[in-house]
Parts: sequence; structure tokens; C-alpha cells
Amino acid sequence: MIRSKKIMGAFLIVLLALVLTACSTTRSSSDSGGAASSDKKDKDINIAVNQDFTTLDPHNVSDTLSISATHAIYEGLVGFDKDMKIQPVLATDYKISDDGLTYTFHLRKNVKFQDGSSFNAEAVKANFDRIQSSKDALIASHYLQYLKSVKIVDDHTIQLILNQPFSAMLNKLTMVEMISPKALKDQGDKIGMHPVGTGPFEFVKWNQGESLILKKNPNYWDKGYPKVDQITYKSVPENGSRVDMLKTGEADFIYPLPEQSVQALKTQNDITVDQTTSNIVRYVTLNTNKKPFNDKKVRQAMNYALDKNAYIKVVKSGFGSELDSTMAPSTQFYSKQKVYNYDLSKAKELMKEAGYAKGFTAEIWGDTDSATMKGMQFIQQQMARINIKLKIKAMEQGTLSDAINTPKSPDDAKVQMWYVSWSPSSGDADGATRGLFSSAAFPPNGSNTAYYKNGEVDKLIDKANQTTDVEKQKSMYATIQKDIYNDAPWLFLGVDTNLSAHVNKLKGVYVLPDGSIQVKEAELQ
Amino acid sequence: MKKYIVKRILGIIPLLFVVSFLIFLFIHLVPGDPARLIAGKDADLQQINAIKHQLHLDEPLYKQYIDYMNNLFHGNLGESIKSKVPVSELIGERIVPSLELSLLSIAWAMVIGVLIGIISAIFKNRWPDNIGMITAVSGISLPNFWLGLVMIQIFSVKLGLLPTGGIETWKGYLMPSIALGAGIMAMIARFTRSSLVQTLKEDFIRTGRSRGYSGLTIVFGHALRSSLIPVVTVAGLQFGFLLGGSIVVETVFSFPGMGRLLINSIQMRDYPVVQAELMLFSFEFILVNLIVDLLYGFLNPKIRYD
Repeated sequence: MIRSKKIMGAFLIVLLALVLTACSTTRSSSDSGGAASSDKKDKDINIAVNQDFTTLDPHNVSDTLSISATHAIYEGLVGFDKDMKIQPVLATDYKISDDGLTYTFHLRKNVKFQDGSSFNAEAVKANFDRIQSSKDALIASHYLQYLKSVKIVDDHTIQLILNQPFSAMLNKLTMVEMISPKALKDQGDKIGMHPVGTGPFEFVKWNQGESLILKKNPNYWDKGYPKVDQITYKSVPENGSRVDMLKTGEADFIYPLPEQSVQALKTQNDITVDQTTSNIVRYVTLNTNKKPFNDKKVRQAMNYALDKNAYIKVVKSGFGSELDSTMAPSTQFYSKQKVYNYDLSKAKELMKEAGYAKGFTAEIWGDTDSATMKGMQFIQQQMARINIKLKIKAMEQGTLSDAINTPKSPDDAKVQMWYVSWSPSSGDADGATRGLFSSAAFPPNGSNTAYYKNGEVDKLIDKANQTTDVEKQKSMYATIQKDIYNDAPWLFLGVDTNLSAHVNKLKGVYVLPDGSIQVKEAELQ
Repeated sequence: MKKYIVKRILGIIPLLFVVSFLIFLFIHLVPGDPARLIAGKDADLQQINAIKHQLHLDEPLYKQYIDYMNNLFHGNLGESIKSKVPVSELIGERIVPSLELSLLSIAWAMVIGVLIGIISAIFKNRWPDNIGMITAVSGISLPNFWLGLVMIQIFSVKLGLLPTGGIETWKGYLMPSIALGAGIMAMIARFTRSSLVQTLKEDFIRTGRSRGYSGLTIVFGHALRSSLIPVVTVAGLQFGFLLGGSIVVETVFSFPGMGRLLINSIQMRDYPVVQAELMLFSFEFILVNLIVDLLYGFLNPKIRYD
């Protein structure tokens, strides 16, 4: 017994010693960790985001988070204001010819790129040339599909000449940001890691998967901006950790803010929660080429059977609004429609008229993340009330994309229902319509997974594009939205609310409807 | 011994060859088209095909494999399809933190785990054993993300002692290493205990005791060393997994490790990055196995390598 006590004592001493060594190992390993501790100064801000940045090449970016960063470093000839109205940025003004084919831009003078080179007509042309010569391989070439040529009129005037009138051209140009031609020449494809633009912030360092650091551009043309010295974007994928960082002061602004944390943060005096309407619409596509979804009555019945308010309450924790058109209210030429208000008896009657009183079984497809699963389960439960038995099939995004796009013809398509979302990246009606409802956009050529085909709508989509009269465009898009909403190729669900939060002393950072974070006006008080 | 090591190292080369082929085949057979995922939702077929062409994804598979192997032999891992960043750079930035975190986690898990195991074995079925095994069972049963979230609440939010995530200072390594190491520590404790209990029943121990050696001498001088063989096997295996990164812990602590890079690259079907990472993991596993095999001989000199 005495001996075993001795052994215990010896063990405790060894244990203590080892714990101490372990601690000192920690110290030494941190030295080699090499990450310089960032001493956050008075005029520095930290923004916590949920993903990793993928590229800083503005001509080859498709994810909204990376677009947030390119918007801080670069600028286009035109850009969006807070309400997604188009404003001149690097152009001081623009003129569109009566035939809608020639866009003349007068460029801002005395603007320099962050590497000191001058911004002028030559630089603008170099940027358009880069995109066009990529032969469609750069993502931005999609925005310039109707651009025929670029003409330098003088050092500060440039003309874009189109093949055909294109009503969304200015919206698309907000996505074409100007890179320093000198940097483009030096860096080539690597420009995505060494970005040089004219924007309010210039590039410092990008720690892959961890953080992106930008600093104030001291020679920024818009005098008085920027008002902060440094911005550090931190990639924090875990929802709870982002919220915690705001509480501990490690972050000044977080986006997205998880819905379930809103109430808890609202009670904190030093933190403000922001809700802004987004242009992200949520819906389920119904394959109109397949039985029983080829029957309009069935599709309408499904819309009547779904309680949209309950959807927002249950799936979106109360944040969002019902989708009352084919696009969100913040999208160009939006026109409100008469909503399929929840009406179970009407839904049952329509199902009976269509010969499906006993219902049917179908598959609903979607992504594997928990929010999507929740949505699909809700829809499953709602559809069961009109005897539609849904089988949920969740697929990882690459697999899902293949399942949607591999079929060569509409008749081969396996998709019946797909729970998904859409946001037109340049906020224009064309971007919210053509790829989703034009019969030319059946997969794999586009995202019309409802296989919706309406000759009248097809005609109007093309016509609206080529008209130069804004009022006419507006009325055409109103007809388009009315026709589609009535045809019900979708289960129309909701429009997302963008949720973000910031410490009270930070002002001027906000989220645009497309989900990108704007930092130009950032200010600490 | 030397001969054995050389033989084993030479054996790695054909093994990696086979692995590279399997990885390549596996990745390209998984559904999903990188060009489409990169192009984004707005793209039409024409644009997707243009991207495919630019990335040489429209070439026959065997030709892509030859190109890939050719580059590999020239030390070129290619560049990320998505970001155009060289793969070596992408992995280089992540592997150091991942390696440090793995070493730290396995180090404390080994030390504490073996200690708890020894105490439990010596005091078998008495209170120190019970406490030790309760600790071990807790370590295995507590999910690491839960442990991580709880630690953040206590040490970051309430006490303000540690950062919630990131690795700007050494403090950023503490909580992730505890979350990662807890389960391994528990496993090692249990293996040490059962192995040591077995060894203490052996004849040579009884002989030692009858000769009047003290308990400490017997445990540390005779029993422990040969009891560690299964422990080293487990620890080696766990270390191999640690090097691959942990998506869950890296996510909870915003830790820029290999696990998140892998999952992001798989989601984007970023072939060059996925290939390089999987090759590296295979290599690491082979290497760890070799080291474990060599440790056997050290722990039990009866094990011969010829």
C-alpha cells in the first residue's frame, strides 16, 4: 500500500513535468507558426465572412464573396449604389445612341491605378481586349457577348459598339472592372493574386484560407475616402464562431449573420443587426416537360397548397418575404403579381380537375446543406396535404450539376423538382429571366430546369433586349412576369433577407441585394 | 537495418505510382464538371466549352494523365483550376500550420494518454483507474466540434483569454489541438492500460518481482517498453489522419489547414489541388507507417527487419 502511494506521488510529479513541457512545446511551435501577430490599430477594421476567397481577378470571378473584394480593389466605368441603381464611377457620364448600338463614355480625369499608371481610354480598351481575346474562357466574356468593338475617341473618351441593342448592357458593365494594363502585362494570369485597380483599397496580403488584407489607397480619386486604414477579411466558416468574434471584438462586421443568432445579438447594446432585402429568390422548378407537371392545373395546385408565410417562418426563421413574381423586388423591371395565396381546398379542387385527386409520387432534388434539407422537408410536408408524396434526394453540388446537365435532350432529363435559388449577378431583368425561362436555355445550355417553353415569352425576352425604349422594356417585362407566374413553372417560395451585424462604432459597411459587401464608405467613430 | 530502410524507401516509389493512377482515375470518374462549376450559373454551353478547352479538360483522359505525370516528374504540381494559384503555393501555405497542429495534438495526447494508461494499469479497478478510464471514455465520446464550441464560449467569449480562431498568434493553436487530441489521448490511454495489464501478467514480470525489484522499476524498466507496441501503432495511424487535417475542427476554429483546402477543392472539382493533396496524404501515411515499423524494433529488440 505504501509502495503504491509512492508510485502515485512519482506519477504526479512526472505528470506535472510533462504538462509543463507540453506547454513549452506549444510556445516554440507558435514561433515557427510565423504568422505575424496583427496589431490592430485604431483605424483598422476586421470583417468576418463565411467562405474563402477564390480569386481577385475581376474578369474571372463568379462567387459573391470574391466579388466583394474585387469591388474594394477595382472599379468599373459604372457601378451600383446602395439600391442597385447604376451610377457613373470611372466614367463621369455616358450617352447611349438612339439605335442602342453605341455607348459613349467620358472618363474621369486624373485617376491613377494603384501602381501609379494612368487610367485612360487606352487602359479601358486593354481591359475589354483582354476579356474578348480570351474567347469565352474568362467569365466576364459572358457580360460582353454583344460587344462588337471598342473605339478610342480621345484620351478620355471611349465608345463601345454593340452587334445588337442590349437593354442590360450597363448592368453588365458594372461587372467589368478595370485592371491596370501594366499589372496585367506583368502578371498575366496571376493577376488574381496580385490585383491592381483604381479602387479605394489596395492589396496587401492574401493568406489562403485564412485572411485577405487590404489597405487604404492614399491616392484615391474620390477625395475624403477611404476613411479607414486597413481592412482584414477573415474566413470564418462556422456560423457560431463568426457571431462569437463580433462579441469578443475580433470582428467589427460579420456577414452572413445566421438567422438563429439575430435575437441574441439584438439584446447586445454595442452591436447592431442589419436586415436588407436581397435579390436572391428561392423556388422549386417543376419539369413542365414531364407528367404530371406538364399540366398547368397541377402546378398551380401545388402553388396554392404551399403556405409561403409558414415557409418563411419555419425555413427562414421569419427573415424573408414571399416571392410574388419571377424576380425579387430589387431587380430591374420587377412587377408584382397576384400571389397564389395558401388555399388548400382550391388546391385539392385543381388536383381533382387535373385527374390527380389521389395525388402522385415524385422526387425533389437539392443540395446537401442543412438549410436546403430543411426547405425540402418543409415542401415534402406541405405537398403531402394534396397527396403528393415527395422523395427527397440530396446531392453534393458537383453531382447535382451533372445530374441536371448531362441529359442531351429535354426528354432524357431525369429532374422532376429542384429546390434551388437564383440571384441575377448584375441585377438586370435579362439576367433574371433569359437563363431561367427562355426555351434556348434548357440544360446544358442554361438553367431552365423547368423546361419551360412559352413562345410568347421567348419572343418578348428577345424583343425586350433589343428595344431601346425603357418604358416599352418595362411593359414587356411586366407581361413576361405575368405570363410566367400564371403558367407556374416554379413553386414560388420566397425572397431572402440579407442579415449582417456590426459593432456600433463602425459605419458605412453594407451588404448589397446581391450579397456583396461594400466597404468604400467604411468609417470608425 | 540500413538495408531494410533503403528497401522500404525504394518500395515507396512504385507504390506512389499506383496511388497516383488510382487518384487520377478516381477524381475524374466522380461526377461533376470543373468547367461548369467555375463558369458559374450564368454561363452557357459555349462558355463552358471554352473553359474546358483552356483547361485541356476536353482531351482524352489518358492524355491528361500523361500530361499530369509528365508535370509531376518535373516537380510541377500544376495550378489551381479555380484561382490559378500554383498548387505548391496553396498547399505550402496550409501544410505548415497543419503539421504544427498535428504534432502538438499528438504530442500532448501521447504524453497524457500513456500516463493515464500507466496509472490505470497499476491501480487496476481502483479509484485512480476509474478516474482515468472515465476521462478516457469522455475523451472518446465528446464530439470534437462540441468540445471546440464549448471551449470558445468559455475561453474566448467569457474569459477573453484566447482568440476564437485563426492562427495570428500561438494561442490560436491551443484550443484546436485540445479538440483534436482529446479523442486520441483517450484511445491511447485505453490501449496503454490494456496492454500494460497484459504485460504485467507475464512470466518475466513475475520473475522480476520475485527477485525483489520495486514496482516502479518493473513498470518503467521492463513492462512499459514492450507494452507500447500497440500504442505506437494506434498513435501512428492517428497521426496520419491528423496530417490530413480535420474539416470539423478547422471549420470551428477558422484554422487554415489541409482539411478545408481539400473539401473546398473537391467541391469545386479542382483536380490539380485534389490530386496533389491526396498524393501528399498517401506519402505521409506511407512515411508514418515506416517510422512506426522502425519503432517496433526499438521497443522490442526481438523484432528483426531482415
